[in-house]
Amino acid sequence: MTLDLYQTALRYGAAYDELSADGVNPRPHWAHLMESLRTMGPEELGRRWSRAERRIRENGITYNIYSDPLGANRPWKTDLVPLLLPANEWRFIEAGIIQRAQLLSLLLKDIYGPQNLIANGNIPAPLLYANPAFLRPLVGVQVPDYSYLHMLAVDLARSPDGKWWVLADRTQAPSGSGYALENRTIVSDVLPDSFRDSNVLRLAPFFRAQRDALINLAQCDNPRVVLLTPGPLNETYFEHSYLSRYLGFTLVEGTDLTVRNRCVYLKTVDGLEQIDVILRRVDDSFCDPLELRGDSLLGVPGLVEAIVAGNIKIANALGSGVIETAAVMPFLPGLCRHLLGETLKLPSVATWWCGQEDALDWVLNHLDSVVVKPAFPARGMEPVFGVELAQAEKHKFAEQLRARPYEFVAQEQISLSTAPVWESGHLKSRGVVLRTYVLNTGSGFVAIPGGLVRVSDAEGSVVSMQRGGHSKDAWVLWDSPVDTFSMLHPRNEPVELRRVSRVVQSSVADNVFWLGRYVERAENIARILRAVIPRIRRADDADHGCLLRLHGCLETRHSKFPKAKDAKPNSAELEIEMISLLIDSKRPDSLASTLKEISRIGGHVRDRLSGDMMSLIGKLRDCIQPDERVELLESPAILTACLEMLSAFSGMERENINRGSGWLFMSLGRRLERAIYLSRQLREITTPLSARDWSLLECLLEVADSSMTYRTRYYTTLQPLAVLDVLMADETNPRALAFQLNHLVDLYEKLPRYLADDLQAMKEAQSTLRNFDLRTLSYPLPGATATDSDSDGLARLERFLRELERLLPSWSNDLSSRYFSHARTFPISIGQ
Amino acid sequence: MNYKILHRTTYKYKYPVSLGNHVACLTPRPSLVHQAARSELIIHPEPATRTERIDYFGNILCFFTIQEAHKELEVEARSEVTVQRNAVSLKPQSIAWEEAVRLLPTDQSRAGLEAYQFQFESPRIRIRPEFAAYALRSFTPGRPLTEALIDLNTRIYKDFRFDSKATTVRTPTEDAFRKRRGVCQDFAHIEIACLRSLNLAARYVSGYLRTYPPPGRPRLIGADASHAWLSAYCPGYGWLDLDPTNNLVPSDGHVTLAWGRDYSDVSPLRGLILGGGAHRLRVSVDMEPLED
Repeated sequence: MTLDLYQTALRYGAAYDELSADGVNPRPHWAHLMESLRTMGPEELGRRWSRAERRIRENGITYNIYSDPLGANRPWKTDLVPLLLPANEWRFIEAGIIQRAQLLSLLLKDIYGPQNLIANGNIPAPLLYANPAFLRPLVGVQVPDYSYLHMLAVDLARSPDGKWWVLADRTQAPSGSGYALENRTIVSDVLPDSFRDSNVLRLAPFFRAQRDALINLAQCDNPRVVLLTPGPLNETYFEHSYLSRYLGFTLVEGTDLTVRNRCVYLKTVDGLEQIDVILRRVDDSFCDPLELRGDSLLGVPGLVEAIVAGNIKIANALGSGVIETAAVMPFLPGLCRHLLGETLKLPSVATWWCGQEDALDWVLNHLDSVVVKPAFPARGMEPVFGVELAQAEKHKFAEQLRARPYEFVAQEQISLSTAPVWESGHLKSRGVVLRTYVLNTGSGFVAIPGGLVRVSDAEGSVVSMQRGGHSKDAWVLWDSPVDTFSMLHPRNEPVELRRVSRVVQSSVADNVFWLGRYVERAENIARILRAVIPRIRRADDADHGCLLRLHGCLETRHSKFPKAKDAKPNSAELEIEMISLLIDSKRPDSLASTLKEISRIGGHVRDRLSGDMMSLIGKLRDCIQPDERVELLESPAILTACLEMLSAFSGMERENINRGSGWLFMSLGRRLERAIYLSRQLREITTPLSARDWSLLECLLEVADSSMTYRTRYYTTLQPLAVLDVLMADETNPRALAFQLNHLVDLYEKLPRYLADDLQAMKEAQSTLRNFDLRTLSYPLPGATATDSDSDGLARLERFLRELERLLPSWSNDLSSRYFSHARTFPISIGQ
Repeated sequence: MNYKILHRTTYKYKYPVSLGNHVACLTPRPSLVHQAARSELIIHPEPATRTERIDYFGNILCFFTIQEAHKELEVEARSEVTVQRNAVSLKPQSIAWEEAVRLLPTDQSRAGLEAYQFQFESPRIRIRPEFAAYALRSFTPGRPLTEALIDLNTRIYKDFRFDSKATTVRTPTEDAFRKRRGVCQDFAHIEIACLRSLNLAARYVSGYLRTYPPPGRPRLIGADASHAWLSAYCPGYGWLDLDPTNNLVPSDGHVTLAWGRDYSDVSPLRGLILGGGAHRLRVSVDMEPLED
């Protein structure tokens, strides 16, 4: 068999190629996969791959790139061809990384304990004293030994002679295991036959071990475990949300947690709930602004106190970042002999910590062959490739090294091994780094079989997700039957049936409440725009007045109308204003801004929304392109498309979301918002209309999507009282005010810990509205003589609506302070 | 010498604070030169939890949480302290400062390691060539360490102006150094930065200084303030306290509260609050000498 799928020349010789030793024949463990890829052919592979890529986009699998303003939510880039590892090779790697995890755990235990290794000179003191990641408040604090390195990630590369080397250790909050899982899902789906036939070791047992380890860490019954994320702007937020769902832990941000009575609590709509274990993805120095970095907005004030009190367990333990530096690598062989009585199985790539005189001399004499990095990554220095420096720069750099040598570490560069990558219809070869993971479960170490393979971009040998490289799955081809346990369908354990939804933390309730309000607000703006815009040019003077009143219902504070107070805006000015309300994302009250806000809030609660809803939110955000010149005539079509999507959203809201607290808050938001603008619109009618204003009635019916209801009842006769009946009093019309109030009362009563006063006020409003008898109301019709029946009824109605306009926002505020109190408030630092 | 010290800190908030997590470093740490006979911390409103902890540097910290809504926080530290410093004998034949720099990283003894950690950068203090250049005028080749230290202390006293308006508690050390102005905290930070930039070890000391009323006037109660100075490590001798704000080597008039790498390790009272809005801070210190 030939590797006829390879289209480009490979650089054999310089680097180890994973696929083939001679560039012609695949290594034995690749033969089966290559044969099946060849049989499938490039077209079929291409088809399957585009299907997979579509799924990645639709599922919203992303990796954010910090420095790139457009980089937020970039689609995840993965590859069709997995990296294959034979069983014997994996056994060697596994033993090596497990030994490493054992060793580093002991090292951390000593650093945060007796510090004998410093006193005995096994590791140099500056590695702690000059290290900003050495967290002094945690020294001497008792935590379970196996929490120091609950999880360790090890980056491995293979040198040209076929040996594996450790490039880096990630000791504090290693990322990527969730992406490995996602890659596995995608690739096994694209190549189901190969996956099944190749006897690939499964990933699920590793994650089961992780879940069990975290639960055990709590050392109590029914513990509550949360995953602490820095938030949606973090580059691996997708992974946090994916893992929390997969492991079944609540995803929280620092502001969701609070420390009281030396315990950590989650703020939920049901009150405070105690937390037992935190799986953290926040860097350790940011975890407690009281005792660690005072400027951190990501942490929980008092967390260290709760740890000291033994009331919370953190994985990885705070402070584990102290050894997340290549500077410890030169000392590992000695430490391994000293602590484990063994030789180090997996060597680190050659590393020199410049704090040692000999090492500094060597590095200065061999600058061209090394890359120099900060010994303490918190310093944020970019790696310096000696060979890229001009002579003058070299001198300057050497001075820097001599001034504070302990701040630098130098490493040899190795040329990465290459593996096949599927790219635009061909297989090409790229450098790869294998990031693999080890758990310390307390009853043993468990390695992930395989891990996340990171692929270098076209030419470089530098592998960095931050720089936009991509990733691969890794398949360990086992030589005996594999455990096919799946986290999603446990086989042996009976499932405990549960009806209660997950706990809803205050910040989630806050977000879904506003999601409901903004979706409803968008609909109202879109409906008013769609009613007004087509009428502007053909409106006579009277109609024009009505359109201005309709615009007035939006109560915009950012209108583009000329400031002069005496003249009413003319139709050209109204046109500019309405287009601006449609597309201008700089004004917060425009439709474009509202849709953007929906997308922002949706991003915060994406782990609570279905993939379909998230995809709809993405489409909504994109349906109005602000930079395009929107012609007046096109806008109704845009608005109709937008309204259809909003309707699809409310359909999903009604039919696809469990009726838990989350849904309650979203619906409350929607009902409150609709009631607020309906009261405002109805007041346009309760101020007696003149003959010139009659077309307003038609517009209001259209805005409330109730023209059809009206026409089936009253044919074409437009009468204010009849319109009021349809839009205000008719409890069967989902667009009527009465309908909103009924639902408000129903929803509010279902809330835990609701405010009795507000419920009472809502019920009063509901009954006031019911008791209005529109039939006895006299509405001064233009041209008719005034009758003397209930003449102040209309005024009372007007007052009621005004009062409602005041009450509705106050109920919204009360909800905020009752259920979302400080959910999004950052603590303020004093005295630092 | 015995003192009774009263240190009251009051925060007044515009809006209620619903939760406050605080840490106070207001209890004098025991040391060779002084003992606290009595020390208590009175906190209003009453904290829901309150615990004491000895920190990494051996200081006494008090952690407390106030969980009831409050618009005012008052923390009052009352201490009675005995200070007994031996007259400092500044051996003129002390080792050359370069020798101290050489010895520091090689000393694996407890005291040596303990000192070594104060040679490096810390949150508020950077190592900079400009600090080293300034210090080198006192640290001439071969000069005995203690002599050079006292010379630097005097130069900072003379070159820098005490000016409570020039800096705030957050001013970076580099800024105060450039302005040649600041308060005791800045003076101490600057001298520490100078010493660390020469690879010497120095730590920040927070405490109180006895003040004397003008002749013939009574002592004013509450007019004192908390004070800061530094301590430099001299191999073979130990730690030498230096007060650049007053150009002196502290004796019985200085009461030590705590020490750390810089102000951020030992700030007297800090915290994180929810709510509160704008706040006003009032601090009063009263240091009353007691008859033996």
